[in-house]
Amino acid sequence: MRKPPTLLKVLGIAAALAALIPVGYLFFRLGAGSEKAIEELLRPRTLELLFNTTLLVVSVTFTALVIGFLQAWLTARTNLGFGALFAVLATLPLAIPSYVMAFSFTATFPGVSGFLPSWLVLSLATSPYVFLAVSAALVRTDASSEEVARTLGLTKWQVLLRVTWPQVRPAATASSLLVALYTLSEFGAIAILRFDTFTRAIYNAYRLSFDRTAAAALAVVLVLLTLVVIWFERKYRGDYLSVSPASQKRVRISLGKAKPPAVTGLLLIAVVAVGIPLYSLINWSIIGSSTANLNQIMEALSGSVSLAVLAGVVITVFALAIALWIVRYPTKLGRFVELSVWANHALPAIVVALALIFLGANLLPWVYQTTALLIFAYVILFLPNALGTMATPIAQVPKSLEDVANSLGVKGNRSIFKVVLPIAAPGILAGAALVSLTVLKELPATLLLRPNGTETLAVRLWSSTEELAFAQAAPYALLLVVLGGLPALALNRQARKALSEVGK
Amino acid sequence: MFKSFATLLALFSALTLSSCTSGEPNPNASETLQQKDSLVLYSGRSEELVQPLIEMFEQETGITVEVRFAGSAELAAQILEEGENSPADVFFSQDAGALGAVSKAGLFSTIPSELSAQVDKQYSATDNSWVGVSGRARILVYNHATVSTLPLSVFDFAKPEWKNRIAIAPTNASFQSFVTAMRVVEGEAATSSWLDAMKTNAVIFEKNDAILNAIEQGVVDAGLINHYYWFAKAKELGKGKMKSKLAAFESNDLGNLVNVAGAGIVNDNSASRAFVEFLLSNKAQTFFAEETAEYPLIAGIEIVEGLTPLTDVRNPKVDLSDLDTLDETLELIRAAGLI
Repeated sequence: MRKPPTLLKVLGIAAALAALIPVGYLFFRLGAGSEKAIEELLRPRTLELLFNTTLLVVSVTFTALVIGFLQAWLTARTNLGFGALFAVLATLPLAIPSYVMAFSFTATFPGVSGFLPSWLVLSLATSPYVFLAVSAALVRTDASSEEVARTLGLTKWQVLLRVTWPQVRPAATASSLLVALYTLSEFGAIAILRFDTFTRAIYNAYRLSFDRTAAAALAVVLVLLTLVVIWFERKYRGDYLSVSPASQKRVRISLGKAKPPAVTGLLLIAVVAVGIPLYSLINWSIIGSSTANLNQIMEALSGSVSLAVLAGVVITVFALAIALWIVRYPTKLGRFVELSVWANHALPAIVVALALIFLGANLLPWVYQTTALLIFAYVILFLPNALGTMATPIAQVPKSLEDVANSLGVKGNRSIFKVVLPIAAPGILAGAALVSLTVLKELPATLLLRPNGTETLAVRLWSSTEELAFAQAAPYALLLVVLGGLPALALNRQARKALSEVGK
Repeated sequence: MFKSFATLLALFSALTLSSCTSGEPNPNASETLQQKDSLVLYSGRSEELVQPLIEMFEQETGITVEVRFAGSAELAAQILEEGENSPADVFFSQDAGALGAVSKAGLFSTIPSELSAQVDKQYSATDNSWVGVSGRARILVYNHATVSTLPLSVFDFAKPEWKNRIAIAPTNASFQSFVTAMRVVEGEAATSSWLDAMKTNAVIFEKNDAILNAIEQGVVDAGLINHYYWFAKAKELGKGKMKSKLAAFESNDLGNLVNVAGAGIVNDNSASRAFVEFLLSNKAQTFFAEETAEYPLIAGIEIVEGLTPLTDVRNPKVDLSDLDTLDETLELIRAAGLI
């Protein structure tokens, strides 16, 4: 087997070390007050948090998986009708920050709180991750085996479960991992809907009692939970299947009597996930006099866009390096790098931000409160999102093509640039778009690490709602959703591109 | 993986030890006060509110101000992490609790006595590590269509007739300061039993404004909030459209607690002192009274129409510096199952 190029290793190890900073910081905090930390963890409340967190993560992941998978299968493989429209509707919740969605729910239905609304909001907010990944996989997999199975007498539901599902399982489980970790680290929506999880307890420990030891103790449990979730994902992911580039022309499965309920179900999901938040945002804009200042809006817009693009580029470089390393040159070190990058993905952003504040203010004052340190935080926070999205398209480039290139005189690892990256380019761009979208919505780390005076839409949205001026917050929220809609739509187009090329 | 953790840990410990020994502040620095013509302000109060004040300050003094806006608690956490190396000169906080946390960590310089003397002692830190800038009163907001007899004390909400009718925001800092005051004055047992009653009776919200909205929409009958939320809502909707009314409790009741927003000096220099002096000037105090309907804390400033003067508020005698024991309060609120 070939050895990974040094550049990949350097970038990968750098990212892994960066990812270990927050964990290192947590152990440092624990070391400063281990007795208090143990006391904190031995309270009955920890068990309650563990129960709540597990309940939410399992239920949200399962629901998002079912919704996203069905949306993808219905729009890509069946005679549903309006497939493109439903695909856009399935993608759009991605553009709506979950705290905006939660807020619009409480504004529309005052008094809702607790487990059920939290489960609903997070399931709807995260199902696009599954939808996009499974759509892309469905489009790329070979439909002919499904047709063979049909001719051998399996019903369409048996085909769905026994032939289609195994083919998209790696994509579905990888995206479920993102969903699970997203749920573990979510704060905004959970705080608005008041459901106690580890992440909410960690924020409360920092913000209400300035108790950094208790926060660290809870955060370490969160890291352990993350490792458990990752272990499950590794166990059930199955193998990536590389596909022959020429997919067969496919026949769309007839839904028969199931069509009306399927259409109704998809419409209902769209109304709740997209309709209610948009209705609520537009409503805010109309109620009360909007006094938002155009200069401020433009400043926040350019701040958001430049941070999102810059972070998107930087994160993509690191994600590509690690994805190529683990997919093309599987080594133990590569797996360790991947694991450490993922391990702190469930840490609340405030933990990552405070770790970097501690490090930055005390040891690296020249980068403290600069854009560089903020981008660095985004790399730590969102590298796994990019990695999850980019590993699949890279894995699906047939190895045989590289062999062909080598036999035609492309030397060694240069086939990565000549063959692998060009073929996987659309998937890589999709990953970059996803990361930029996530950065766009990020609030806690941006608030704590941005240079003085840097404004983003999310920060403005936060400060307007802090000051109770919801009418004023509305334009920022709307703009955030519209801006987020662009990469979301691009992602959707990408996921379904091959469909229009092959299908019909 | 553990090897890497261990290495990292060792690295962290070594580096923090070295930074701790080098960064000791000089307690006698006041003798040779550093002159500065620029200032870094950490503001837990919003840009909307503070920016016009900063522009006034810059024009008046020629000192340029760089501001960092975020939540008071986040900024306090940030200053705690930054330690002696904090770039902040002044911390302007929304509430006394965040100031208390920074003060506890010994990261504030003492406010010069000619400044702290302008504010009634009950509204600043006892050790003068921070000074109150503006005041807000805890108050009862109620729907006058459904509440006919007003309770005399906040303890009356423990009675069964209030089941599902009283709204509170247990995660809100102002509520927690109020419970802290209750704990300090009435003791843990009384506070716990009140909180237990709230678990049965109260409808829970995340923020004060959500309580007010719920009362306006007729979802709940009454709620415990800070006075200025009502005036802000009245300004937005027009006073005639308000369905809710405000009421105080009987004299010295904890429900009438007055808490403050305040400022502390993180790096003592001429610019930080000038800024704190400005916050206590007639101009700035009038600004707070007019913009936010808060109470000015220096004498002789006019307050918003319809608001009871601070000297007539029958607030309980509580040392605000004691309200930095949020830890113990949270224990009680958690034990009652409210957060």
